[in-house]
Amino acid sequence: MDGSVRLDEVVMRFGDFTAIEKTTLEIGSGEFFSFLGPSGCGKTTLLNMISGFLTPTEGRVWIGDEAMGKVSVNRRPTAMIFQNLALFPLMTVFENIEFGLEVRGVDKRTRREASEKLLALVALEGSGPKQIGELSGGQKQRVAIARALAVEPRVLLLDEPLSALDLKLRQHMRAELKAIQRKTGITFIYITHDQGEALTMSDRVAVMSAGRIQQVADPMTLYRSPATGFVAAFVGENNRLETRVIEREGQRVRLDAGNLGELAGMAGETVILGNGDRAALFLRPEHLKPIGEGDAGPRLSATIEAVHFEGAWVMLETRLEASGEKLRVQLGHEVSRQYADSLDIGQRMTFGYDPADAVVLPDDGSPVLDEDTGEMVETEQRAMPDGGSHA
Amino acid sequence: MLRQLQARFGGPLAMAILGLLGIWLILLVTLPQLQMIDYSFRPNLLPDQRGGPEDGWTLGNYATLLNNEIHRVIFFKTLWSSVLVTLLTLAVSYPLAWYLAKVATPRQAALCILLLIIPFWINEILRTYAWFIILAFRGPLNEVLMMLGLIERPIRFLSGDAGVMVGMVYAYILFMVFPVYNAIESLDDNQVRAARDLGAGTIRTHRRIVIPHAKPGIATGCIMTFMLAAGSYAVPALLGSPGSRWFTQIIYNWFFEGGNWNQGAAYAFLLLVLCIGFMSLVMRFFKVGLGDIAK
Ligand SMILES: Nc1ncnc2c1ncn2[C@@H]1O[C@H](COP(=O)(O)OP(=O)(O)OP(=O)(O)O)[C@@H](O)[C@H]1O
Ligand SMILES: [Mg+2]
Repeated sequence: MDGSVRLDEVVMRFGDFTAIEKTTLEIGSGEFFSFLGPSGCGKTTLLNMISGFLTPTEGRVWIGDEAMGKVSVNRRPTAMIFQNLALFPLMTVFENIEFGLEVRGVDKRTRREASEKLLALVALEGSGPKQIGELSGGQKQRVAIARALAVEPRVLLLDEPLSALDLKLRQHMRAELKAIQRKTGITFIYITHDQGEALTMSDRVAVMSAGRIQQVADPMTLYRSPATGFVAAFVGENNRLETRVIEREGQRVRLDAGNLGELAGMAGETVILGNGDRAALFLRPEHLKPIGEGDAGPRLSATIEAVHFEGAWVMLETRLEASGEKLRVQLGHEVSRQYADSLDIGQRMTFGYDPADAVVLPDDGSPVLDEDTGEMVETEQRAMPDGGSHA
Repeated sequence: MLRQLQARFGGPLAMAILGLLGIWLILLVTLPQLQMIDYSFRPNLLPDQRGGPEDGWTLGNYATLLNNEIHRVIFFKTLWSSVLVTLLTLAVSYPLAWYLAKVATPRQAALCILLLIIPFWINEILRTYAWFIILAFRGPLNEVLMMLGLIERPIRFLSGDAGVMVGMVYAYILFMVFPVYNAIESLDDNQVRAARDLGAGTIRTHRRIVIPHAKPGIATGCIMTFMLAAGSYAVPALLGSPGSRWFTQIIYNWFFEGGNWNQGAAYAFLLLVLCIGFMSLVMRFFKVGLGDIAK
């Protein structure tokens, strides 16, 4: 049962609008693969090309070693879990789950056995005779999973299936989905704009932006070595500083950060950066630590503007003295206790970081996440380090 | 309903509206109908015999139908033909409604709906006459069919059931298309997509997903079409006579040619009972209640 999926130079256009730029991608059989990206970046469009609801304008989709060009939706070895679940409201839970088998001409007894087994898998034993309207949100979710698994797909496609659930249930269902995927060994292709979901469940994640795949990597790599500024800003939290390259030695890069002085970070081997080039330095809030007068390494002095106590950690919103830019700093439990006296609005603190944790990328003018509005904006619209303040 | 009206218009105005509604219902609907029922149970008498010894309630007018074989045949033929018209209209309307609701782009749908409605700005008699011309023995339809070599000799569409069927399907199609269209329109596209994704073909998707969802709309359309067909006068009179007679024509004759209102009223009530009977049958068949239809 080969559940691998291959996109071979696929392009999707709607009229003049290109929803998916030329994309080539291979997803392994049995992999939990996620597409992560902001709303409207083309995730659903991509999924619809795999399920067969859309035919790519160019290129081909393969499942296993079969080209899907002439295979219609109802004959593909895929099953979809819809964003709104799309359970059949006029049928019982049993009838919903058995629908795909009924279509395939499976007799009633076998059907019932299969659906009982699936109900056990999704922990809904005994709910078979219920109407869909009698189920809670989480139960509907499980029925949708069972209904899709009933047709024994080689690839399960999930379009933001958890977005309608509340936070607690969502986290619970994450674990459950992952467990089901392990148990069944089916390829899961999961779509989400929630990075938490993508990072916790997936073997690999493709980060998308505006119809283009920015990076495909396992969650750890995505987090530690983002390939583009977009990924750095979208996955996890990052402070972004605009700098120029002074000198590069191997992966280590010395940077001129204007008023902030000299900083340092790491650039991947494949990243092309020449002396004097514009570069973006990404500092994760959790990599910043308070340092004293005598400590060596990069230094960033800032004034605390807000303190958010989150239980296990403290999030500081600070403003850099030299440039007026915002800097978010996350202090772990121990550190925050150690500095408890200084964590007040208006207090000055100096932060340092290990350059090995800081990522340097060419400042390619790609959109970045605006911390204030939570939206992606073009770099040109942002204030430059020496150009004043944030709006 | 009273509470809704009160919330909207305030107490006194709500009472006034309900009062007017009540007067209208009683004066213009209920009383005349009661008068007709009364007529239908009395013998047809000359004016000076009214109130005399022969004036009294009797089932005689209703018995006429049982005793008159021709009328009986026409009564059941009307029933049967109306069912047929309803089924034909449904067969034509369902794909059309599906296309309008789920396939066509909004612009295409708007254009189609406009094209469907425009002919209905013309009065029914004229529209029916148009069909009279089209379907005539030496009319354009026969000409075209012969030119295409599909038939060798003209078909006599008129003065028979075929003409009546065509005319009625055409006359009542909107009453079927719109309720069905509304019902299909409200179906979530993902339901259809989910069914297809699970492997269902077109027919099964319609049978298991679309039709069950559209049931109230289909029932509404069927009931309206049946009522209109069974009560139709112009279409059978123009396109069917003399070969195909409709029960309404007999009722008309009793009233205006026989001058026997009592007999006519009795026949009209039999037709009404028939329609109500059909309606409850359809509702039971589709398992829908009055509330679903009123939606
Ligand atoms: N049938 C269509 N015709 C025209 N444009 C379309 C069509 N379907 C999608 N688009 C466009 O393609 C882009 C990608 O849409 P898509 O639904 O794939 O986004 P998405 O990543 O799934 O977003 P979301 O997270 O909001 O669901 C959007 O700009 C959308 O407007
Ligand atoms: Mg989407």
